[in-house]
Amino acid sequence: MMNKKYLFSALCFFTVLFSFAQKKDSVVVLDEVILTDAKLSQFSVGNKKQVLTDSVLSKTNSFTDLLRYNSTIYFKENGYGMVSSPSFRGTNAQQTAVIWNGININSQLNGQTDFNTIVTSNYNNVTVKSGGGSVQYGSGAIGGSIHLNNSFNFKEHLDNELRIGYGSFDTQSTNYKLSLGSKKLSLNLGLNYNSSNNDYKYLGTDQKNENGAYENGNVDLSLGYLISDNNILKLYQNTYLGSRDFSGTLLANSNENYKNTNVRTMLEWSNFNDKKISRLKVAHLYERYKYYANKDRPEYAFGYANSYLFNYDYKYTFSNVVLNAIIDNNYTDVIGRNIEESNRNITSVSILMQHKLTNKLKYSFNVRKDYTSDFSSPFLFVFSGAYNISKLYNVTLSASKNYRIPTFNDTYWVGAGNKDLVPETSKQVEVGNYFNLKNVRFNVIGYYTKLSEMIQWRPIAGEGWIPVNVKDVTQYGAEAEAAVTKHLGQSKLVWLTNYAYTKSIDDSNDKQLMYVPLHKITSNLAFSYKKAEAYIQLLRNDLVYTTTDNSSELPGYTVANLGMSYDVVKTAKNTTSLGLRINNLFNKEYQNTAFRPMPNRNIMVQLTTKF
Amino acid sequence: MKMKGKIAGILALGFLIISCESDDNSVDLPKGAYDNGILITNEGAFSGGTGTINYISDDYSTMESEVYKKVNNEDLGTIVQSIGFNDDEAYIIANVSNKISIVNRNTFEKLGEITTGLNNPRYFAVSNGKGYVSNWGDTADENDDYIAIINLSSFAIEGTIPVVLGPEKLLGKNNVLYVAHSGAYGTNNKVSVINTITNELSNTIEVGDVPNSMQIEDGYLWVLASGKPSFTKDETGGVLSKINTRDYSDIVNYTFGATEHPGSLGLDDDEFYYGLGGNIYKMDIEDTELPTAAYIESISYYNMTIHDDKMYVTDAKDYASNGSISIYDLETKQLEQTFDVGLIPGGVYFN
Repeated sequence: MMNKKYLFSALCFFTVLFSFAQKKDSVVVLDEVILTDAKLSQFSVGNKKQVLTDSVLSKTNSFTDLLRYNSTIYFKENGYGMVSSPSFRGTNAQQTAVIWNGININSQLNGQTDFNTIVTSNYNNVTVKSGGGSVQYGSGAIGGSIHLNNSFNFKEHLDNELRIGYGSFDTQSTNYKLSLGSKKLSLNLGLNYNSSNNDYKYLGTDQKNENGAYENGNVDLSLGYLISDNNILKLYQNTYLGSRDFSGTLLANSNENYKNTNVRTMLEWSNFNDKKISRLKVAHLYERYKYYANKDRPEYAFGYANSYLFNYDYKYTFSNVVLNAIIDNNYTDVIGRNIEESNRNITSVSILMQHKLTNKLKYSFNVRKDYTSDFSSPFLFVFSGAYNISKLYNVTLSASKNYRIPTFNDTYWVGAGNKDLVPETSKQVEVGNYFNLKNVRFNVIGYYTKLSEMIQWRPIAGEGWIPVNVKDVTQYGAEAEAAVTKHLGQSKLVWLTNYAYTKSIDDSNDKQLMYVPLHKITSNLAFSYKKAEAYIQLLRNDLVYTTTDNSSELPGYTVANLGMSYDVVKTAKNTTSLGLRINNLFNKEYQNTAFRPMPNRNIMVQLTTKF
Repeated sequence: MKMKGKIAGILALGFLIISCESDDNSVDLPKGAYDNGILITNEGAFSGGTGTINYISDDYSTMESEVYKKVNNEDLGTIVQSIGFNDDEAYIIANVSNKISIVNRNTFEKLGEITTGLNNPRYFAVSNGKGYVSNWGDTADENDDYIAIINLSSFAIEGTIPVVLGPEKLLGKNNVLYVAHSGAYGTNNKVSVINTITNELSNTIEVGDVPNSMQIEDGYLWVLASGKPSFTKDETGGVLSKINTRDYSDIVNYTFGATEHPGSLGLDDDEFYYGLGGNIYKMDIEDTELPTAAYIESISYYNMTIHDDKMYVTDAKDYASNGSISIYDLETKQLEQTFDVGLIPGGVYFN
């Protein structure tokens, strides 16, 4: 009875919407189709999104550094360049999703992304979205999601960029980017090779980071072809190959090595007109690792996973309402030395809606339900709204339910996997205040999250270490961002500051979770004059606890980096610049993971030429 | 000046007399700040960190944490697995750091360290005037396990004795060293008998799967094996073996149920104690059958140690916060005292 009543109400509602339907400019539609992930802005109007573009991306060498110095996310790194795990809004690494051109690429095996295995320099932008987004982005979009987006440019052009860097510890970086296009075709290609001995000094000791060398190669390709005025075909490809010696600690040497490969391919076809976009995506994700506990020996542990994605998406635009229905199927199979040969099929149905009530007020409401082969998933939703009180001031609101599903390791680890696990669920609300003045942008967001059924590996008598749904966590806090941009003649000043206050409390003992700082501040000041630019990056991190009862801690620290660059050639056809960067300017001794020191002061010189 | 000299002389003489006297009654005087008490090893975090040692005085009036660091201003290393003793010297083994720190057991002043020749060291024992340390070797290699032989005056490793997979607990007696092979990351079911005059393997005894503790009494070696756990997909029950040490031929096995995994065999006044399924059982050395009823119920532990009418039970809690130790009177079964100690308390020793 109830269902019928709801259905009837919904039909009435949509009929009303249809009657308002109006014609939309097809150029606008094309612009949207070209965008990789238009849904990111359209259906989460109430969430904070911080967009990092080239000027910021080019100032750091790794994905971890990019976000460490430009966002509120805390990183726990097992030595510089080693496994890097984020904590976003007080959550853990499995509760932060990394989204590659609209699809979730967290590992199927351990549920997290190692932020030192992603090369960001070929993406057109990296967007940090705070807060839950599981309806659109699936498992792990709890603390927030990081979006890696390629874009397409259907204009006649041919651009090349070569960037070569060399620095302390024999660190080398070679990057090449090609962008070419015509009215029908758009091609972006990026090639990268990075390596380092990474044998930095452990300040305050006579030890070095003996076993920390790394090397990686990466290729990104995005190809777009406009078949006709109403059809576009897009191909995305990313291949990453990495090899790292895993660092030891202050008290124990290591002779470990870890090699991993990621191959991601996605083909997307869109058919569109002024009212609708119909999109079909097929993708294949492959991940593999080999872990050598002793790199001098032939034995290794390994795991690999293949995921096949099928996604159909239909979006219809009425005058004030956008409706989007998505059906998605994800089939994954895994093989590993310590994992049962297993597979999982997840089919999900989502409906997204954005309604512009007035020019000042819009909201979106999204729902999702998964049908999974080996456990049951909760019904997910996001409600979010934005209200422009004035040109200067917006308020936003968001409420959502999100999840993190048990990983293949959690479920199928030989002798430990727990098939009775249920997904972690998170309910959250947030309120945002956004101020836009002439040269100043400022926002403050407050949030509250309740995480239930958190999965942790625990020793259970007679069964060894197994994953269990063990605890509930309450998280609340505030994020503030201020951006000042000032032009004065030929000089320009950009000052970006982020602050996060994070409480992440274990409900069972009222203690702050491990490795969640109460305060984190990043502040970046860049000043350019004519052909010269100088910038300083500052990071202040509060203490973090290293035990669940908060009985031991790592002290807080402040680290600064200084960079400068000069355009030695600047013509219409060529810009060549020389850059210098000093990391850890004050040679500060600090750790973000216990007993794993971070690098001493080091330098990097860089040559960039665009032609 | 002269006067002062005389006074000093008298004083010195007085001290001499006093110290002579105290020597005669030295049984009662503590030999250092950490004499007459309990030492607890806390493993520390596996992922990188240091183990620590707590001291609790026999009268429970003082408890000190991180005593090694306090005295020597340095860390012991990652995963403090165990302590072995040679008279007044304590050999503290840091497993992941491949390091042994040697201290005076009563003052905790460092006497030396061993940092080479160890590979996954586990336990230390003394036999025939030499130290022996069980080593797993590289855990990927099942054939490189060994016992390191340590010169007790120079702290140098003098040699190694290759043994089968997973040497763990050691028991030194006269000129014999018993090595229980729990099997490291796999499983094993052997006890090696090493002649410590020749430093050669003299016997290999087959016991239950995963031997975890040994006791020797009245010419018999008792070995408690826990059996293979269920996650090995080849679960076996525990076995208590009574082995005649004269020729190791006469073995009596007391077998537990197929899913019963006992551990922590302790001995006090001819009574055995062990833990099983969250309870503590007691068995007289003369008994010919395993006890069916628990002696003390509902005690789960990370480590259980029996000593002088008392039972010491450690709790590692969630393995990521400070653990605790609880001390019970074996007679009355009453809890006497509980102390908060360090991260993952794994060993209890007596000064």
